[in-house]
Amino acid sequence: MSVDTYSDSYLELSDNPIRFEPVNQLTNVFFDDSNKDVFTVRSGGVMGVVVKGPDSNTPLNFRMEDRGTVLSIKFSLDHQILAVQRLSNSIELMNFNNDVLDVEYSIGCKKNYNILGFIWSNINELAIITDHGVELYIVIPAKKSVKHLKTVLIPVQWFVWCPANKIALLASAHGSQLQPVIIKQSSVSKLPKVETEPGRMSLERDVALSTLYGIPAVLILRHQIGPHTAEVQVHLFNGPGQAPVKAHVLKLGLSGRFAINIVDDLIIIHHQTSRSSQIFDIALPGESDGSVRYHTTIAPIKSLKPTSITSPGLVEPHTQDCELYSPNWVVFQPNIVIDAKLGCLWHINLCLLDLCNQVNDLSVCTQIVLRRTEGKSVLLKLLSNAVNEKTPNLDKLQESFNHINFIYRDWVEGELQNQLGSPPNVTQTTAKNVTPPRVLIDQSTMFEEIFQKLDGDLNVIERVLICYFSSLAEYEILAQSNLNRLLVSTLARQNKFTILQQFLQYGVISDSKPLAVLLLSLGNMHPSSTQMALDMLARLKATDEIQEVLLSENQILAALKLAKDEANPRKFLTAAKNTGDATLLHSVLYYFRNHSKFSSILQNDERLHSFINDYNEIFNSTEK
Amino acid sequence: MGTANKDIEIQNFFIFNSLFGPKEGEELKKIIYYYPIDDNTGVQVENVGLVEGIIQFTQTFNPSNPVTSLHTSKMRQLYFQPEPNFCFVLTLTLPVVTKIKESISTIEYMEDDLQDNVYESCLKQLYYMYRLFYGTFESTLANHNLDILKTQIETFFNPYLKTIKMDGLDILTIFKGIQYLPLDRQNFLKIQCFINSLESKWEYIKHTAFLYNEHVIWSGLEPNSMQIIYQYLIETLLPANAEVELQGGSIPRNSSLPFSALKHGRFITGPSNLKHAKTIGKIPKIYLFDENEPKEYHLVIYRALSATLCLLIDGSIQLKLNDFQRIDDHINPKISPLVNDIAEYCSKQVVTPSNSQENSPKFLYFNKLNLAYKSSVHLDNKQKGNITCSKESLRIMADMKNASNFLGPAGENIVKTTNDYWVFSKTSNLREFYIVLQQKNASLVDISEDVHRLCQNELEGIFFHPV
Repeated sequence: MSVDTYSDSYLELSDNPIRFEPVNQLTNVFFDDSNKDVFTVRSGGVMGVVVKGPDSNTPLNFRMEDRGTVLSIKFSLDHQILAVQRLSNSIELMNFNNDVLDVEYSIGCKKNYNILGFIWSNINELAIITDHGVELYIVIPAKKSVKHLKTVLIPVQWFVWCPANKIALLASAHGSQLQPVIIKQSSVSKLPKVETEPGRMSLERDVALSTLYGIPAVLILRHQIGPHTAEVQVHLFNGPGQAPVKAHVLKLGLSGRFAINIVDDLIIIHHQTSRSSQIFDIALPGESDGSVRYHTTIAPIKSLKPTSITSPGLVEPHTQDCELYSPNWVVFQPNIVIDAKLGCLWHINLCLLDLCNQVNDLSVCTQIVLRRTEGKSVLLKLLSNAVNEKTPNLDKLQESFNHINFIYRDWVEGELQNQLGSPPNVTQTTAKNVTPPRVLIDQSTMFEEIFQKLDGDLNVIERVLICYFSSLAEYEILAQSNLNRLLVSTLARQNKFTILQQFLQYGVISDSKPLAVLLLSLGNMHPSSTQMALDMLARLKATDEIQEVLLSENQILAALKLAKDEANPRKFLTAAKNTGDATLLHSVLYYFRNHSKFSSILQNDERLHSFINDYNEIFNSTEK
Repeated sequence: MGTANKDIEIQNFFIFNSLFGPKEGEELKKIIYYYPIDDNTGVQVENVGLVEGIIQFTQTFNPSNPVTSLHTSKMRQLYFQPEPNFCFVLTLTLPVVTKIKESISTIEYMEDDLQDNVYESCLKQLYYMYRLFYGTFESTLANHNLDILKTQIETFFNPYLKTIKMDGLDILTIFKGIQYLPLDRQNFLKIQCFINSLESKWEYIKHTAFLYNEHVIWSGLEPNSMQIIYQYLIETLLPANAEVELQGGSIPRNSSLPFSALKHGRFITGPSNLKHAKTIGKIPKIYLFDENEPKEYHLVIYRALSATLCLLIDGSIQLKLNDFQRIDDHINPKISPLVNDIAEYCSKQVVTPSNSQENSPKFLYFNKLNLAYKSSVHLDNKQKGNITCSKESLRIMADMKNASNFLGPAGENIVKTTNDYWVFSKTSNLREFYIVLQQKNASLVDISEDVHRLCQNELEGIFFHPV
């Protein structure tokens, strides 16, 4: 494949792979995907067994007697019992404590049964899959005995196990019959079969069980037939009675050998021949035919990032580039790649920002990033880049804001219902706990991380803000006051009062006292600002504030009418006196004098007497 | 008995500049434009001379306040000096009513029917409409010469004066207001975003206005500029187009279903048919005076369904056919859903209006800061006498408007007519509000209550000074 599949990759292998002794003539390697343990068994165990778990700091080390070739080896989920399969119809069990193996006991099955594998389905529960079905046992280590719990008879050729969902997929008729069973709580129950095209066979390595967005899923790779290139069919276990339903098809556009991984609910399909990987997100709309949605890769097909390992050498450490997509690779769910010849176990990591750079469409990126666990910072970075362009693409920004606010609205509503639904006297259990979305970008975050940091062209800021306001309105969310203030000041700084007026008129900017005060302070820039402020105060029924405004504009009588019985005579008299308008002073003073409540105040409050004196001075002198 | 009733008509209209012919015998040079063209030059010179005389004579008494009108028993003359030394004069005949009393008919000139403030405003509009398309006289003289100025004025006024009807003008002419469409926040913002996206994509689109039928939803222009463009659209351009667009059947503002016949938007100034056009067609150039320097723009109008989009494009740009094609490609798919949403919103708003009854109060509202007006007095904005109250009440409103300056920042004025009409004017928070109601045997208190209720219903969210 051309070089450019290596540049700008967005997938990488973990930096510190779990290293183990590579496979050779004496050493066998096993992987248990329930515990994610790597077993290296030297000479059948006599030379030692090393077990490295996901936290490889404390590998387990022990020896076993060599009693034949080890076919499979797995610890129970609590690492207290070791199960080893050496024969085709029995499993040996050993209690394990303090790195020492205890006496063996075993489980056997009927002679003509062939064990295909075994699973630790629960702490002490062991399920054995034979070619005749599933047998479930409980192991009692203290008594060194096992008890049979249940058997389900069904022909099996191979099976796939999903430890996370405790679902096993049993295949018969060369993989054309796929029977899922749930093995948990001491029982084995059949689920409805996976519906596949009749007679269509599949291989074990082409079927993966995993979880996508919290729903168990089976992914089946379908190789090229006729003109069609390969595709992956995704069946989700969300039908009635947990029935698997074919919901998505991933179009690969290639043929050859593939492997499936899941990273953060994204499906990664590796293609060995081209040494590249495609990436799919079933949450994206895709193309629907009514029941099934068809997806193509969301980003240009790229290879994994090159990686290397360092091994201690004779003189100095020796660094070796790892072969990517090697034929020795074996992949496990969700995101494990093992190269047994090299002795490495990697996890596949997604470089979200690099992926977005490849996708290059803000709207699609937003949809992808909103569903990733570490998406928030990446999304903020994307938004920040987008709004800081010289001429931002407003249409795309709008779409992006809509995706963000769709999630934001749901969350706000959920919170609201939670608050309403749990009055103090109701127990906590009734209040449904809203799981916060993976990426929640609320107004405060937008304000602090995006809008507050904008310092370019005011016109651009205005347009971006309007985009956001429009999206909030689309989801019926009221804009916060800091955003309102920002919009007002952005418009005022450009002297766009006509536009501000229209925004207020059409209710884009919601009313609040602080905003009214801001508008009043802009009154010297444009008279409409004062008009709008007064309207807003009237809507807020803020009589006191209106009074102050009217007083400051020397509309004293209007203010007095508004104050009614609440007036402060001194304030009004002072204001009237300051106008130097004798008639006005007369009107105000007479109003108070003839008012039942104020007439006594006028007489008793000595501070008011000066006004009466002033009045007498003016009017007595004119009468003379 | 040939004399019937006669409406207000233009007797003459002329523009002169005294500096152009200061010497005796050169009087004709002063005249820049004279209408009607069939008045002979002698009459023209005489009329101009008379006006010059009146202006100079009155100036001696009140130099700071030049004379604005002259009343005679048969006619009215209005003066307006828009630029230094250029004087506009409009002479109107007073309306005539023939009364027959005891088989003797007498002619009566209805002086009060012709209100100065209404027709002064009309005269001013003549100038501002001219200036919109040609710029100021001074700039034409500075850049060209007097002959070109005269040609321009003739090209503009000869047809324009013929189309203007002087009769039936009322207080609306004084306001020359803009009608805004009430709309919800969400739809308004959608339009706003649509326009932002348009303006950011084509930086040479300097201003945009969005109209739905005859109502403005969005204007990025200063109100004074929008006002004159609005008048041009409503009075001239859109009616002319509507005739082309609709053969039979009007577009009701509240129709819920947009009409399939007009599915696609098109330019009504600019190339009319983008597929077959070879040239960009005629695009008016306009001048706006919002900033210190007058600015020149191409006025490109796009219509889709009931929406009208005015694009003011930088006048220095040479527009090409493919500019229009690209703009159309951008607008066309986006505008239809917008207009449908607006139509849907409007159709939901139609409630049988409570004030549709004959004697319910009628109102007229005007905000001088954004020039918005709202009227239940006028059934349309064509000023053709389609009104819901008596003409007399409208005249009282115009008189009250004249007196409103005395009210200060807030006040009320109430007039009761002999035929039981109450006319009410209210000034508050830089807005004007007029109400007419007809009620027999009503007291002032009843009327005040009615008015208060009307203010609350029709103008919620507005601050009114306490009464």
